[in-house]
Amino acid sequence: MAARTMRVVGKSLPRIDAPGKVTGTAVYAADFALPGMLVGKVFRSTEPHARIVRLDVTRARSLPGVRAVVTAADVPDVRYGGGLKDETVFAKGKVRYIGQPVAAVAATTPEAAQAALAAIEVVYEPLAAVLDLEAALAPGAPLVHEEWASYTAIPILHRDGNVCNRARIVVGDVDRGWEEADRIFEHRFRTGMVHQGYTEPRAAVAQWDSSGTVTVWSNTQLPFEVQNTLAEIFQMPPSKIRVVVPGIGGGFGGKLRVGVEHFAVLLARKTGRAVKVVTTSQEELTAAYPRQGAVVELKTGVTNDGRIVAKEGRIWFDTGAFAGSGPGVASVATLVLAGPYRIPNLRLEGFAVYTNKTNCGSYRAPSGPQSNFAVESQMDIIADALGIDPLEFRLKNIVRDGDEGPTGQVLGAVGLEECLRNAAAAIGWNERRPETWRGKGLACGWWTTTGGSSGVYVKINPDGTVALNTGAAEIGTGALTGAAQVLAEELTVDLADVSVVSADTFSTPFDFGAQGSRTAFAVGNACRAAVADLKQRIFALAAAQLSVEVEACVLAEKHVVADGKRVSLAELARMSQMTGGGLIAQGTFIAPPTAYDSKRVEGHVYPAFHSPSFHAHAVDLSVDPGTGDVTIHRYVVAQDVGFAMNPTYIEGQIEGGVAQGLGQALSEEIVYEGGRVLNANLTDYKMPTTLDMPRVETILVEHPSLAGPYGAKGVGEPPNIEPPAAVANAVAAATGLRVTVLPITAERIALGLLGDVRADGG
Amino acid sequence: MSKLALTLTINGERHEVHTEPHRTLLDVLRVDLGLTGTKENCLEAECGVCTVLLDGHAVNSCILLAAQCAGRNVLTIEGLARDGVLDPLQQAFIDHGAVQCGYCIPGMILSAKAFLEERPAATEAEVREALAGNLCRCTGYQKIADAVVNAARATAAQR
Amino acid sequence: MSFEYHEPTSLAEAVDMGARFGAAGRFLAGGTDLIIQMRRGTVAPEHVVSLHRVPDLGAIDANGDIQVGALVAHRAIERFPAFHGRLRALVEAAEVVGGHQVRNVGTVVGNVVNASPAADVVPVLLTLGATVVCVGADGERSVALEEFLVGPGRTTRRPGELVTAVRFASPPERSASAFLKAGRRRAMEISVVCVAATVTLDAAGERCEKARVALGAVAPTTWRAREAERGLQGRAMTPEALHEAGRAAAAECRPISDVRASARYRRLLVETLVPRALARCMERLRNAR
Repeated sequence: MAARTMRVVGKSLPRIDAPGKVTGTAVYAADFALPGMLVGKVFRSTEPHARIVRLDVTRARSLPGVRAVVTAADVPDVRYGGGLKDETVFAKGKVRYIGQPVAAVAATTPEAAQAALAAIEVVYEPLAAVLDLEAALAPGAPLVHEEWASYTAIPILHRDGNVCNRARIVVGDVDRGWEEADRIFEHRFRTGMVHQGYTEPRAAVAQWDSSGTVTVWSNTQLPFEVQNTLAEIFQMPPSKIRVVVPGIGGGFGGKLRVGVEHFAVLLARKTGRAVKVVTTSQEELTAAYPRQGAVVELKTGVTNDGRIVAKEGRIWFDTGAFAGSGPGVASVATLVLAGPYRIPNLRLEGFAVYTNKTNCGSYRAPSGPQSNFAVESQMDIIADALGIDPLEFRLKNIVRDGDEGPTGQVLGAVGLEECLRNAAAAIGWNERRPETWRGKGLACGWWTTTGGSSGVYVKINPDGTVALNTGAAEIGTGALTGAAQVLAEELTVDLADVSVVSADTFSTPFDFGAQGSRTAFAVGNACRAAVADLKQRIFALAAAQLSVEVEACVLAEKHVVADGKRVSLAELARMSQMTGGGLIAQGTFIAPPTAYDSKRVEGHVYPAFHSPSFHAHAVDLSVDPGTGDVTIHRYVVAQDVGFAMNPTYIEGQIEGGVAQGLGQALSEEIVYEGGRVLNANLTDYKMPTTLDMPRVETILVEHPSLAGPYGAKGVGEPPNIEPPAAVANAVAAATGLRVTVLPITAERIALGLLGDVRADGG
Repeated sequence: MSKLALTLTINGERHEVHTEPHRTLLDVLRVDLGLTGTKENCLEAECGVCTVLLDGHAVNSCILLAAQCAGRNVLTIEGLARDGVLDPLQQAFIDHGAVQCGYCIPGMILSAKAFLEERPAATEAEVREALAGNLCRCTGYQKIADAVVNAARATAAQR
Repeated sequence: MSFEYHEPTSLAEAVDMGARFGAAGRFLAGGTDLIIQMRRGTVAPEHVVSLHRVPDLGAIDANGDIQVGALVAHRAIERFPAFHGRLRALVEAAEVVGGHQVRNVGTVVGNVVNASPAADVVPVLLTLGATVVCVGADGERSVALEEFLVGPGRTTRRPGELVTAVRFASPPERSASAFLKAGRRRAMEISVVCVAATVTLDAAGERCEKARVALGAVAPTTWRAREAERGLQGRAMTPEALHEAGRAAAAECRPISDVRASARYRRLLVETLVPRALARCMERLRNAR
């Protein structure tokens, strides 16, 4: 990448959608309304595992204001899903978790809809339920899906009974590794189920038109995927389904797949009216797509001087009653379990397991925190046992440029050492003094920039402004502002000249979706491709207009300049509109595939990390031994972002990601008992408030990627990954207590210090 | 159930509203008056996205009956800017990168507004305490706190 | 939720409505508990009687004994100058009830009537020997707060009775109070355990003349740690004495295990926080000299 002075990209410019958001004029899906719209609500199972003996909606249908009540009988008999098609719109014959949709109603008022729900009569015959991983994996366990073998699934998945995927990485020979090791360490860890906690509930409004097309306004992060899923469910062509995203109040992966869109579509078809469905807090905490709880067993062999020679790991994800993102999560986990370390012998397995709980999905760095918590906690345990500084132990084993990743991908732009040293220096790692009840902890990791394709249209308007038309949705990260900065940079206009139209399956180009830290990366690159195309047209026009050679043309300050003459982009756009249909171009981008060794993997749907990022977190905290309360004094993140497209919005991603990570580390958990969520409300699902969050100090490290715009890498997910391990390590340093269960609550610490409770993963 | 005839003053304008007694201020704002700048989420006073100002004090509109607000002054986010000029708080939120998805922002700005009226020279710790009833899941609160502290300083400097 | 809404403009009218509607009616002050309960369906009154137009309920009267009217919101308690001395615990408790939005609307009396065993201001009132003023068709009666609270969400308020105020005396000179709260996060918390303590020293200023310790979330109602109090009577307030009080309170209280905490942890918190609350009282007494 040639060094140059950037005008727009790389600057902390204010995001383009901020004015609408601070004035309350930005419209979110939850705000969207149409005239005559009905209210839709969902009737849900109250049993974790049961046969539906009787379901009678006649009384509900007859209530005043009720316009439709629908059940499985009203939808085609279709199983849908990602790589594994096991989901149905409504339970049919059997319910598999408390909260599973059984029916839906549409009525003129919320009260009438609520009354309709209350009037639905259902009789269940309870079946033996599998309520946790151990129960699901026990020999002879009841099957959550008796017909699992008949489900359509991508062939690569390894499925068996309650295991809906097993992904595996094998490198070298771990048994030889154990012989070579001087010390072998085995530990078990457990993490809880946590919710993305977006402040805007999932919402959709659907309306059919006279041509048999349905339009759905939704806060999905993946409008094109939702379009396809709806097409699959309702057995219609995707072109008859239009998904539009007005605005999203946070997603974090919880709004990837259909949440309520299918109910809205079905009820709108039944009633002939627009129907809006919005989830409640209780539905979010019982029937959404939270992060899987997990159990990790990790066995690591090291030499006495601190070299890692072998690692064997197994992680089981409690993915709930339907596979959701489980199979993919189980795959990605194996790469996180390997860690950013040079390890010649590896045997790592990830399992996605069915239980009778809500089906889990993707949450910012899916599998990341659970796996990293285990890996980085054990790294500290080993360092302590060997008498080696935890920083030095990591530095001794981390990967460097040119090394292989666990599946054989060649790693470049590895900024990990710089991240570790910077984070450690910032937290005062070498100034640690023994101090009662106060300690510092480190954790590091690596992550991917998800691939998939993105297309954009770019148009130059006759007034010189630029329209960016992208299929990506803005979920709040500022990624579309970043892409607009790339566009403005390349066209030599200002950010204020760019306006964005996004996320409409009818009128915007395909985008793989706002997921996996890919949006600024992919859309930014698509913009560069569009500009390349646009330049050809612009220069051809300018050359004719100025009587110069095309080769002499350059863009500068919103003009084409050549041989001392110039013409504005605005003028060229005007001319083009009159004679050539306007200045518009298309750009597409798909990340080049990352080469890896396919012999090392099995059942794996994510065998390499693309344009990987590297990161290190450091925390300085105190523990109150009388209560177990943790007070964080300082929190530092050093993250290799490749190239900082907009430092302020990247800091924002890091600060927010750490907040979610600290929530998972210290206070958040969806608590199940007997298949029922005990804390399905925001009083008892404890997300951090302003008073719980420390300031986060961010250090942006730049080791440019080959594929990203200006060398950028994905930035959104990584900050979620390391907080639990960093906190666990600091708590251990402060108290001598090693907590191997998340969340590390004050209770766990206080009782653990008394030896009262097993703080380990047992 | 008979409807109530209520006169609500929202952003300085009087609105005659006929509504059932159980309907909340949030319902009336968003559904009856189309003022969707005030957001809905938990409906249990736990998250703060529904925050408006009632006679200058921050309140959760999701648990206030519309009837309780008759004869009182309600300020929503739509009423904050004057003649297209943003309130210093709104500008500060833009300038300090305090906005991500934006869903918590209207409530956050209004809580800050009420607080700064009472406590113009606020420290970061005081600002955080004042905003503890507004959950944000995107920002980790840091740039929000920065924006409010800086807006306070800017306003103080003008006085 | 579906109900008739009423706005009496005098106390007599409000009391009359209360008598007529009985258990089918509920009085509405701030509504921060009532509206949520109605939305969840745990409470379903046919009549809601709003108090906001009844005069003389919105005052804190501090001439002699202190009277807090039914419409006094927590925000007023936080800012009442006379409460920042010996009655400091009242402020400390009021300022951690929910967030600003809840404190601007929710009332102290409403909090008392709601009778959550985890309530924050109620333990402080208990240490102050507060009484509850109930007005019904047959007139006014004063009930000791300790007798008023009988179970989680249950009081001796008769159906239709209106609680117009809470009364308590300011503790004598040589007194101080403190309030501590434990929870999983630092704001927006329902207490896992909370402790209120009020200490009065003897004339020489050396020994404890009277100690009152009340706890939240460790029993079916807000609960006085009587063993701990007795143990402090007449004693020098040494660290050992304070820790004994903590152990006594922990042994005597009856916490449950729920999704917020285990009983074992709650006892541990009591054992830790009672001495700390008492120590803070002593520190305030020393600073007041």
